Amino acid sequence: MAILDVQHLTQFFGGLRAVSDFNIQMEHGEIVGLIGPNGAGKTTVFNVITGVYTPTKGTIVFDGQNIVGRKTYQITQAGIARTFQTIRLFSKSSVIDNIKIAYHFRMTYGNTDAFLHTRKYWQGEQFVDDYAIDLLRLFHLEGHADDISGSLPYGAQRRLEIARALATKPKLLILDEPAAGMNPAEADQLMETIHWLRDKFDLTILLIEHQMRVVMGVCERIKVMDFGETICEGVPEYIRNDPRVCEAYLGKGA
Amino acid sequence: MNFLRTHRTIATVIAFVLVYVVTKALYLTGILNTYYIQLIILVGINIVMTVSLGMVNGFTGQFSIGHAGFMAVGAYTSAMITTVWLHASTANPWVGYPIFIVAVLAGGLLAAGAGYLVGAPSLRLKGDYLAIVTLSANELIHAVLNATEAVGGPRGLGGIPKFTTLEVVFVFAIVSVVLMRNYLFSSHGRSMKAVRDSEIAAESTGINTTKQKVFVFVFSAFFAGVSGGVFAHLLQFIDPSSFTFVKSLEYLIYLYVGGATSISGAMVGAAIFTLLPELLRSLQSWRMVIYPLILILTMIFRTEGVMGLKEFSFILIPQRKRKEVSA
Repeated sequence: MAILDVQHLTQFFGGLRAVSDFNIQMEHGEIVGLIGPNGAGKTTVFNVITGVYTPTKGTIVFDGQNIVGRKTYQITQAGIARTFQTIRLFSKSSVIDNIKIAYHFRMTYGNTDAFLHTRKYWQGEQFVDDYAIDLLRLFHLEGHADDISGSLPYGAQRRLEIARALATKPKLLILDEPAAGMNPAEADQLMETIHWLRDKFDLTILLIEHQMRVVMGVCERIKVMDFGETICEGVPEYIRNDPRVCEAYLGKGA
Repeated sequence: MNFLRTHRTIATVIAFVLVYVVTKALYLTGILNTYYIQLIILVGINIVMTVSLGMVNGFTGQFSIGHAGFMAVGAYTSAMITTVWLHASTANPWVGYPIFIVAVLAGGLLAAGAGYLVGAPSLRLKGDYLAIVTLSANELIHAVLNATEAVGGPRGLGGIPKFTTLEVVFVFAIVSVVLMRNYLFSSHGRSMKAVRDSEIAAESTGINTTKQKVFVFVFSAFFAGVSGGVFAHLLQFIDPSSFTFVKSLEYLIYLYVGGATSISGAMVGAAIFTLLPELLRSLQSWRMVIYPLILILTMIFRTEGVMGLKEFSFILIPQRKRKEVSA
């Protein structure tokens, strides 16, 4: 059974149809790319899946549950984590606190334990500290654990954002332009990281990306959107040679 | 690590006991008169007010500007209980003080209830709506108190027994600040800061931001209510004009000058601005020039307040040593 099954998704903003009749089925462990020119509706698809918007029409079934109408935090708790096109870290909090925050909904102590610093609090804090440092280590960020996250270099902030998403223990990871602002060497490393993430954390990954080298190198399947419509779908080799894709990106006659 | 934790706690406790003993000794030897003692008590009350306001404005990133309204709810509720309904007096402290404590907590709970009524609908919205709603709530409470004859209307409520002593305010301020400090340095406190830094990112890391914001707002109102009760039993007289929007504004000033994103900052701001009018007394009318000047200069040269993001070491939770990083 598909882990994510989106059917006939349509999103209007007033009179503007941002996404129309979008369908996607993702199997467990797949890496799927979503590409298209600016304004094609890719990020809107992400925002609808993660509950930022409620879709005008359509169904989204994740892991056997219909998640349409659920709030963003509920969808995250159900197992979908995401990163953002522009980095949105908790910039005044420390690097390790960014990770701990993402584990908050799994913490077992309550408000009373928080006010009184009971034994349960100390146990919980010790556990989450170990959990966070282990995760940071995987992303080579453990040396920065107590630095303010907003002070990290750009590449490290990108890594931290992915680490933070993983701290929620998702089944499906959604990456919105993970290679944005990266040079070719960093992008190469990112491609390795994405494959490694999938295997290490047993993930299914959906990503938006503009750098074609990254998309073609990392995705097993690609969907192309333009003006809210899905215009083409298939394996990277097929997409690369499809005239409709060239037309969407470069215009007619290119 | 356990040793360090208890060690620092003991040092802090000793420091506070010393401060108390010295203050009390100065009072008993006549160096500090009753007026100065009252001023020190006010510092304690204002610290709790400012720290609790900082929980909402500084650490959760919401903008509440009606904190004195919740103080009024607590002050009037507790004063009505001790003065009008139960006629508690300081004559027999074994009866008086339990009544006082219950009354003050009841005031806090009612203020928390008022906080829920104000916060629950308005914190769902993002942006500056909370400022408008809290301002209106403050004025509403003020107007209702003015119009209610049963609580004295504009004449105010007098004859309140004086339960608030130096000891009471010491215990009250320390317990309140410790509780709020503890909450801030917990998983829940981290999610408060997450809401402040990016609400959308907080939601997408699984935090129910509305619930978190409302909870902080409610317990902040609770502490404001209790402060109000302690305040009423210090001055022995309260009237609606003590709890207007201007009073709320004062707490905002204490907070932002001291440092909104620091508990220590809130404490420093409250202490400075409670004592400052006294220290500048010799300047007479000119102190009203100094006062705003301090504000302007702080905002220009230390936008984030005197303390910024820093905390006094006794506020911080001692961190355990992490396991060694293996290569």
